[in-house]
Amino acid sequence: MTLVVKALAAGAIGLALGLAWSGSILADPPFGAVTIGAWRVAATAGSLDADPYTRAALARSGEIPLALGEGLKLVARVDSAGRPLDRRCLYRIGTRTPAARYWTLSLTDADGYPVENAAGRYGYRSSEILRDGDGGFSVYVSALAHSGNWLPIGRVQTFALALRLYDTPLAANAGGIEKSSVPTIEREGCA
Amino acid sequence: MTLTTRLGGAALFVAAVAAAAALIHFAVVLLVPIVAAHDAYARLAELETPGTTAPLPRAGPDERRFPWDDPALAASFCRFDLSAGPLRVKAPVGRAGFASLSFHTRRGAVFYALTDRAATHGRMEAVVVTPAQLRNLVAHDDEDDPSQDLRVVSPTVAGFVIMRAYSELPSLYAAAADEVEAMTCASEPPTP
Repeated sequence: MTLVVKALAAGAIGLALGLAWSGSILADPPFGAVTIGAWRVAATAGSLDADPYTRAALARSGEIPLALGEGLKLVARVDSAGRPLDRRCLYRIGTRTPAARYWTLSLTDADGYPVENAAGRYGYRSSEILRDGDGGFSVYVSALAHSGNWLPIGRVQTFALALRLYDTPLAANAGGIEKSSVPTIEREGCA
Repeated sequence: MTLTTRLGGAALFVAAVAAAAALIHFAVVLLVPIVAAHDAYARLAELETPGTTAPLPRAGPDERRFPWDDPALAASFCRFDLSAGPLRVKAPVGRAGFASLSFHTRRGAVFYALTDRAATHGRMEAVVVTPAQLRNLVAHDDEDDPSQDLRVVSPTVAGFVIMRAYSELPSLYAAAADEVEAMTCASEPPTP
């Protein structure tokens, strides 16, 4: 009798743990992504040979992935020093990106959706951004308004940054992207 | 009961819990893509009637259907079902700015993509076929006048096509939206 009770208890606890474990791991699938500086890129996430974790995560999130031939999506949830992005801080992102025909840099919530803000500014395009004298750029991410290319954090607790490279020759070898070629995310100070 | 048997019993219990958790975990990971009721295809189905091209809502704080969509890009889509015959996709391009077509399986994975760099005569065009339809088309090809069609084999009978167009400036978004809405997806009569 006690054996049956124990077995049932083990099964129930295992079920709960297994579901919780699956839920957390599918929110950020462990395989198929490489880290380049502060950024994570899962180049083959949308392809037919993606691993089961990535496939399951895609089915659950509803994301329509970019094809390798279209471009790459890089996501940062930490700064260049590895600290989680914090809405109380000011970040400077720049000054170069890997080669691409166009790129965009946008701010999203943890799930990948733009965040409402009074300025109505969700991101910058490579074709509209203000550049410095030598062609580089700086984007300032903060809750309070900032001069230059300001990307407001808006009404959200945790946020992420998405850099998309459209029509990039690097797509076939995302793991080979040089750390020095991706933008840095420098924390300039915190309130 | 001695301490050793107690410890042994506890270890066995923990091992049973871990085994059950691992089993559930792998089952969930493998089953989610099959049973997911709200994947990209299902979300698209809420936005159109089959066989038509429909615009994807622009990414924004109030649009929580397709995560990681880029607000700088306009996009449109059509879902397809190849059991009625091959699908011919035509997408005129002619703006400054990037444009692309991506072809997705029923589960959302990309099986083919092309960009405006591959456009000929001012448009991106492809014919989506099943493996059987491809064999049929090849068998009926005129050897002296081979078809110029780009034929793309879909691993699944159902799926969807996405057209994306990049707007160089916020004020040019409307032009990009017009371009993606001009994409057509038409079923071709099956070859006899």
